[in-house]
Amino acid sequence: MPIIETRDLRKVFRSVKRTPGALGALRTLFTREYVERAAVEDVTMSLEAGELVGYIGPNGAGKSTTIKMLTGILVPTSGTVRVAGLVPYLERKRNARNIGVVFGQRSQLYWDLPLIESFELLRAIYSIPKDRYENNLADFNELLEMSDFLRTPVRQLSLGQRMRGDFAAAMLHDPRIVFLDEPTIGLDVVAKEAIRTFIARVNAERGTTVILTTHDLADVERLCRRIVLIDTGRIIYDGQIERIKDEYGTHRTLVVELCEPYPGFAVEGAELESRVGPLARLRFDRRTISADQLIRRVTENYCVTDVSIEEPELESIIRRIYVEGYKDPAVPATLSTPVR
Amino acid sequence: MSALEPYVEFARKAFARESTYRVEVFTNVGSLLLRVYLLRSLWTALYRQNAAPPNIPLHAMITYATVALLMSLILEIDGTRAIREKIREGGIATDLMKPISLPLYFFSDGFGQTIFHAMLIVPSLLLALLLVHVDVPSPGAFIAFTLSFGVGYLVNFCLNLLMNIVAFWTLETFAIQLMVRWASDLLGGQLVPLDFFPGILGKIVENLPFAAVYSTPLRIYIGELPPSEWAAAIGGQLLWLVLFATIASVVWRLAERRVVVQGG
Ligand SMILES: Nc1ncnc2c1ncn2[C@@H]1O[C@H](COP(=O)(O)OP(=O)(O)OP(=O)(O)O)[C@@H](O)[C@H]1O
Ligand SMILES: [Mg+2]
Repeated sequence: MPIIETRDLRKVFRSVKRTPGALGALRTLFTREYVERAAVEDVTMSLEAGELVGYIGPNGAGKSTTIKMLTGILVPTSGTVRVAGLVPYLERKRNARNIGVVFGQRSQLYWDLPLIESFELLRAIYSIPKDRYENNLADFNELLEMSDFLRTPVRQLSLGQRMRGDFAAAMLHDPRIVFLDEPTIGLDVVAKEAIRTFIARVNAERGTTVILTTHDLADVERLCRRIVLIDTGRIIYDGQIERIKDEYGTHRTLVVELCEPYPGFAVEGAELESRVGPLARLRFDRRTISADQLIRRVTENYCVTDVSIEEPELESIIRRIYVEGYKDPAVPATLSTPVR
Repeated sequence: MSALEPYVEFARKAFARESTYRVEVFTNVGSLLLRVYLLRSLWTALYRQNAAPPNIPLHAMITYATVALLMSLILEIDGTRAIREKIREGGIATDLMKPISLPLYFFSDGFGQTIFHAMLIVPSLLLALLLVHVDVPSPGAFIAFTLSFGVGYLVNFCLNLLMNIVAFWTLETFAIQLMVRWASDLLGGQLVPLDFFPGILGKIVENLPFAAVYSTPLRIYIGELPPSEWAAAIGGQLLWLVLFATIASVVWRLAERRVVVQGG
C-alpha cells in the first residue's frame, strides 16, 4: 500500500481583488471582488514507503502548496489525500507524528533558545523515549557535526549551521516521511554535500520516505531515482530520471584524449565540438550511432590514451521542458533504443 | 502526565526567556511603585472633592487601585499575541506541523511568563506597603480572591485568544485589539470600580463579561462583597469562562481549517 496517495488534488486560492488607488482601497472594504487561482490542479500521485522522490517545477508551480496539503496545514479545495493512512487536514496532530518537515526558507527551531534546548523541547513535544532521543542526537551530531554550536542561540547561527539544526530537529522523532522544501537553498558546496549525504543515509538506513523539492538539480541527480515534474499546478511527468534523460538526451559527448596532435582529426557520424590540446570533444546523436560504435571508429583510426562519455545534464533537460513543455514520449521505436 | 509534558516545557522555556530581561524587571518595579504613588495621590484628591461612591471608603479605594495595578501585571501578559505575528510571518505553519494544541501552547507560554512576573508581585506589594496603606483581607477573603482571580485569569485568556484568532480571517486586527482592550480596562473595573457607573449603566456593566476579569476578584478583596455572595460571584465568573472557552474552541477549530499560510 502506498504511504502517500493523492487523487485529483486541487487547491484554489481566493484572494480579494485589489483596485489601485485610495478610492479603490476604500471600495475593496465594502464590495469584495475575489480572484480565484488554482495553485494545484488534479495532482494524482502515489509514493511507496522508502522512496526518495524529487518534486520539481518552476517558481510558482505549486510545489509548496502540495506539501502544505500533505502536512495538513492547508485544506484541499477538492480531491483526496492520504499520508500514512491518515487524511492530514482532518487529523493534523496524528499526522504530525508521522512526518518531519524542513523548509529552507523558514526555521522550525526556537529562535531565542540554544539549539540543544530546541531539541529538548521537541523531545517533550513528540514524547520521544529518552534512549531513542539520545541515540538519534548522538547520531545526527556525528553526521551533521553540530557539537560546536549546540549551545549557541539559534538566532546567532549561520545559515548552514541552522539548516543542519533544522534537519536534526525534523528527524529526532523518527518520522516515517519527511518533506524537504528547498533544503539546500543558500548553502555552500560543503554544506550542501553534508546535507545530501545526510538525506541519502536517512533514506537508506532508516527507510524514511522523502519528498524533496529543490531548484538545485544536482540535489536531485545525486539523491533521487524518480522525479515528479509539476508546472502551473499540473503534473507533467512522473517517472525515472533515467527515462527522461533517455528521451531528451539524444545527444551525448564523447571526450577523447589523443596521443598525437592529429591536425585533421574527424570522425564520421559525430561532430567535432571543440579541441583543446590533446582533448577532443565529439558530439553524437545516440539514435544514429551508439557510443560503442563511435569509440571503435575513433580507435581504429587514431591513437587514443583515454575516452569518457559526458551524460547530458539533467539541468539542461529540465530547462528545455520548462520552456517547451513536456512532450509525451509517443516516440518511434528507433528513437527509444537504449544505448549501453 | 506525558500528554502535559510539552506544555510544562513551554511554560518553563517562557519563564527562562523572561528572566533574561533582568534590567526590564527593575525598571518595571520602579514604574509600578511610581504609579501606585500617583494613584494614591489622585484618589485622595478626588475624595476631597467628594467624588466618592458612598460604599467605598478612601482606604478601600486605594487598596482597590493598588491591587488592580498588581493584577494588571499578570493580566496584561498575552501569550496569544504571538498568533498575529506568526500568521503574518508564516511561522504558524511550523507550529501547526507539530502534534500540539496551539491554544494550549499559547496558554502555557503565557503562563510561564506569568509565573515569572508573579514572583515580582510579592516584593512590589511589600514596597508598595511602604508608600501607601493597603488593606489586608481576612484569610477567607484572600482565598476567595485567589480563586476568583484564577478564574478571571482564564476568562482573560479566552478573550485574548478570541481576539487574536481574528487574525486568521483578517490580518488587520489592530483596531479590534485596541477597542477590546479599552472596553475591558474601562468596563472591567481596572481603571475605576464599577460602582462609579451611574444607575442602570452600573447594573449593565456589572453583568458584562469584562467584570469577571478585574471587578469580581477586587470586590471580594476589598470586602465590598460579603462572604455570603462569594459563591454566586465566582459561579458567575465560571459561567463566563465556560461560555468563552466554548466559543474560543469552536472559533479556533474554524480558524485552523482555513489557515492560509503566507509565502513559501
Ligand atoms: N496564500 C496564498 N494566497 C494566494 N495565492 C497563493 C498563496 N500561496 C501560494 N499562492 C499561489 O499559488 C501558486 C503556487 O505557489 P507555491 O508556493 O506552491 O509554488 P512553488 O512551486 O512552491 O514555487 P517556488 O519554487 O517559487 O517556491 C503561486 O502562483 C502562488 O502565487
Ligand atoms: Mg515553494
